[in-house]
Amino acid sequence: MATIDAASGKRRPRPLSPHIGIYKLTMTMAMSIAHRISGAALYVGVLLLAWFLIAASTDAATFGVFSAFIESIIGRTILFGVTWALFHHLIGGIRHFIWDAGYGMDAPLRDQLAWATLIGGFVLTLIVWSIGYAVR
Amino acid sequence: MADPLSGLRTPLGRVRFLGSARTGTTEAWLMHVTSLALIPLTIGFVWLVLDLLHMDYNGARAMLGQPLAAIVLLGFILAGILHMEVGMRSILVDYIHGHARAWALVANTCFSALLALACVYATLRIAFT
Repeated sequence: MATIDAASGKRRPRPLSPHIGIYKLTMTMAMSIAHRISGAALYVGVLLLAWFLIAASTDAATFGVFSAFIESIIGRTILFGVTWALFHHLIGGIRHFIWDAGYGMDAPLRDQLAWATLIGGFVLTLIVWSIGYAVR
Repeated sequence: MADPLSGLRTPLGRVRFLGSARTGTTEAWLMHVTSLALIPLTIGFVWLVLDLLHMDYNGARAMLGQPLAAIVLLGFILAGILHMEVGMRSILVDYIHGHARAWALVANTCFSALLALACVYATLRIAFT
């Protein structure tokens, strides 16, 4: 219940706990936000997989529409973004398992893990795309 | 207010439903189990996609028709979409309040269920036709 202000007789809102806006941005905070954003991106990205599977289960013409899209510049850009989101989220998840096991929460290591998540996500994306172009 | 020690209600009846329902960890547990399963499944899925890159319609269908490929794909779809549904639930309850929250949660569940059905149906259709 909100308390009543004696002078004005109006309800005063309850005090709020400090939110992200008042803290200095740290690496672990940034990667926490990036984990949520990459997860939300994958939520939309699964539509590409659904489209691919439905097209492949329909007929060659429908599959051709999907192929043409995914091979276009826009399609490739979206697929590159989804690949990054997948690997960033995957490594971020492994980082959470390391924390759950009770390791990596001290000052130097937690920031190193956060940097490893950021760099590792891009490195894995570039490696997989290099393989993708090499096998064509 | 009646004296809590009087009345016709039994002591058990007075305290029932006032405490933990013992289900508070369901979502955390689901996220952990699906995350763990998704580590190998994601590697398998990326492997599949890399194989599929240079394939035409018939090649892709032949590859996805193989048992191992279909099973990895189905595992990735089911674990992934369950993970995604529970994950989005935690985002929605953080940012959406009131009646809109209930509708958003329903929409999230329906969207995820429909997506899972579509992906599983399509995968099985490729495998069996």
